[in-house]
Parts: sequence; C-alpha cells; structure tokens
Amino acid sequence: MLTLYHWEPNANSGKPMLALKEKGVAFESHYLDLLNFDQHSPEYLKINPNGTIPALVHDDLLLIESTAIMEYVDQAFDGPQLTPSDPYERWRMRWWMKYFDYYFAPSLSMIGWSVFVGPSVRERDPDELRAKIDRIPMKERRIAWQKAIYNTFSAEELAESGRRLDLGILKIEAVLTRRPWLAGETYSLADANAYNTAYALPFSRPDSCNDEKTPHLMEWLRKIYERPATQSMASMGRTTLVSRMALLAR
Amino acid sequence: MLELYHGEPNLFSLKPLIVLKEKNVEFVSHHVDPLKDASYENRFLPNDEVEMNMEGEGPILVHDGRVMTDSFFMSIYLDDVFSPMSLRPAGAEAHWRILAGAAGFGQLLGPAVSTLGVFRYLAPVLRKRGADSIKAVLAARGFQERREGWTALLAPEDPAELIEDSRRKVGLGIGKIEGILANSAWLAGDSYSLYDIDSFALTHCLTSLTPDLLNQTTAPRMMNWLERIRARPAVQAALAMSLTGKPEQAFLPGPEHSRWG
Repeated sequence: MLTLYHWEPNANSGKPMLALKEKGVAFESHYLDLLNFDQHSPEYLKINPNGTIPALVHDDLLLIESTAIMEYVDQAFDGPQLTPSDPYERWRMRWWMKYFDYYFAPSLSMIGWSVFVGPSVRERDPDELRAKIDRIPMKERRIAWQKAIYNTFSAEELAESGRRLDLGILKIEAVLTRRPWLAGETYSLADANAYNTAYALPFSRPDSCNDEKTPHLMEWLRKIYERPATQSMASMGRTTLVSRMALLAR
Repeated sequence: MLELYHGEPNLFSLKPLIVLKEKNVEFVSHHVDPLKDASYENRFLPNDEVEMNMEGEGPILVHDGRVMTDSFFMSIYLDDVFSPMSLRPAGAEAHWRILAGAAGFGQLLGPAVSTLGVFRYLAPVLRKRGADSIKAVLAARGFQERREGWTALLAPEDPAELIEDSRRKVGLGIGKIEGILANSAWLAGDSYSLYDIDSFALTHCLTSLTPDLLNQTTAPRMMNWLERIRARPAVQAALAMSLTGKPEQAFLPGPEHSRWG
C-alpha cells in the first residue's frame, strides 16, 4: 500500500509526485489543502506527527523530507533510473538538490508568500487563523507560518531574496549551458526537484528568466514540462497555481 | 589521486576524515587554514560548488580531478567509490533514513553549532587582530554569503539573540538524538553508519561547548553513543590529525541559519 499525502504539484509536494510519476508507480493520492492548514489537523497529525507535507506512507513506514522521499522512491521501485550511474554525477545531483532546497526555494517562497499567497490567507477570520497557527506542532514551522501569513518579512529580507533569485537564475543558466541536465548527461531527481521550484520563474521573475536572457534555462524547463510524467503530475493540480506551467507550452 | 583539503578535525572537516579512516583509503591531506592561506580555493575556480559552498569554509575533496564540496555528500561519494566496507546499511529504507536524518540535523545543528563555536573561540581572536586579519579571505571569497559569515565575527558584541536561538536548536537536536537512541543502538538502526558519523562530527564538541545542554543527566544515551564512536580507531585517527591538539575548539564560519526562522 502506497499513499502520498500532498498539496498542489508545486514546490515540496511536487517533488515526490513527479518522482512517482516518472517511475510509473501507482499510488493513492491524498490531497491536503495547505492554505486551509489541513496538514495540522488532528486526523493528519495521527499519520504524521510533524504536521508536514508531503509525506509518503509505504505499508507501515512513514517517510518525510521531500528530497529524501524522492531518493527512496527511486530505490524502492522498479522503473526508469532517476539517479545517475556515475557516483560523481550522483554527488552533483545531491549538491544541486540541496542548493534548491536550502538556498533558492526559500528565497522564492518568501517572495511568493509576500506577494501572492499571504494576502489571500489574511482575508480569513483572524481568530480562526491564530488558532490554526497555534496547533502547529513544530516551533520552526510555527515561526515560518507566522512570517508567511502576517508578512513579517522586512523590505531588506525581500530584496535579499530577489538578489539571490536573480543570481541563482544566472548560475543555473550557466550550468545548463555546459550540460543538458543539472547533474550531467541524463535527467535525474535533481531536475525533477528543481522543476517544482523553478517552473514558474518565467511568470514570477520575467525580467530575469526569459528566452532572451536565459535560453538554456527556458529550454530545460520546457523539456521537463513536455515529459509525460510532468503532464500527468500537473493534471493533479486543483488550484490556479499549476496554470503557470502553461507558459512553458511551445 | 585522492586529495582532501580540510581544516581541523571538527564539524564538516571531520566527516570525510572519519569516512576515509574507516574505509582505510589512502589520501593526500591538505590541512588548510583560510586565515593563513586565504586563496587556497582559487586553484579550483571557476567552480560553482566551491564558490557557493553552502557549508561556508567546509572541506573540498578532489578525486582524479573531480572537485566536490559538501561534507555529507562527499562522504556518500567516498562510500560509493571505495569498497569493501560499506558505511550504509542496504535497502531503500535505510538510505532514506540516513538522507532524511542527516538533512534534518544538518539544517538544525550545522548552523547552530557553528554559530556557538565561532563566537566562543574565533570572534575574540579576530576582534583582537582587527579587520585586516580577514582582508585576504574576504578578497578571495566571491560568494557574498560566505563573506558575511566572516564579517559578522568582527561586530563589537556577540549577537545575543542568534546565540540564544542556536542554543535552543542545539538543545532540540540533542533531544532528538537522545530520542532516536532510545529505540536503537545507532541512529540508522542496528549498525554504525554515515548517519552516526555525520551527527557525531556535528555534536562531539558539544560536551565542552555546551556542557549544560549535553551531559550524563540531560542525554545519557547520547553521551554513551559519543563515547562508543570516539573509541573507534578510525575516529581516533581522524581526531589525531589535529595540529592544535584541541580540535573541539576549532571553528570557521559555517552554513547560514534558515532565513525562515
């Protein structure tokens, strides 16, 4: 029995979704509405006491940490190999996944929450919101949600995130000028990981990420967008978030 | 040819040193100190993974011209390439447990222990020597975040809030390790693995850095686990590579704390 608890095919939730789709592994999808804080409900906390999504339950085993789940999926199931056979390329795959997880994605999500998501969440009943934040089990997550919902990021923090993104976009463009995929000559988990963070860059950072300035990055995004697994993942989206992928259609 | 550029055997530099000793692999050791030779990284540039080293002044592995950073991922590489003894139990579940665990502790403890260590041991020295002491290293590091790791140490006073938050994270990490060891002898289960090496490297200095947080009363299982790892000949050999005799007091600017709090 294989059940994935996830939100939209986006960011952390999208990572194991795309890995499972690429492997061609059937799984039961359990959609949780991140913006309704379903992941902190008592029912879900019984399954994953950390209150984080995504989470994969394989028989009796609970798996958390989206990037580590991707590696589990690749090892545990038959299907196309998503980890390079060369150990150096495997090292590179992991290095770039960490770059996206800890450097690039936090900057992008800070701006995303400030500009797009936070304002709509703040329209809800303040008492209800506070109650939902209070039930978040992990302090780190509670702090992060408070920052996201109440937009406590300073102008300096947001500007710094923008600087990091624009610098990162140039770095990724340079990498993809040297090789077709992030880890090397073959599509790997690093590309699947990064796509879920980067697919909306032409929408959210149009001045930095476009056909003129970053042609290799754009081509890489389009190639991933066109993969059947990506299309299948995108069809699981329920909100307008996933519609941003359509900008990648040729 | 296998070469490791590393600092004193503590935190990030300690991980690959233990792995190399455990696997009994011959390598050329380049013991580097960025305050004495700031530009040793230049021989590898341009190189994104060196320049943007998210561990700050972490080790660099060079294997037949292939240059690698990130102490945990280079440790997996070493385990992959050099046989026969594997430092990872077989199977997808063990693989996930090691990756997820090391990622979690790396994010929680890596920045926190580095912060406590640099402000205890390195910042007082740099403040005394003045801004000129880091001029060369600032000139040699192209990545802004890495330069900021150094300049923060010249502030006239320690950042009280960051230090308090780091102590909180260290306490949390100790509690988590103690909790895992309540159920198994080693962090990934029944056998010693890269997960233990990774977490040992990040925490063995805590018995002297934060003795009020880590002691026989607060975390007896973790204290016993540290002793079991310290007793291993490979770990003793790695720690014996110290030039100062006090590797647990050697710290350099490390990874950033999460910007999300």
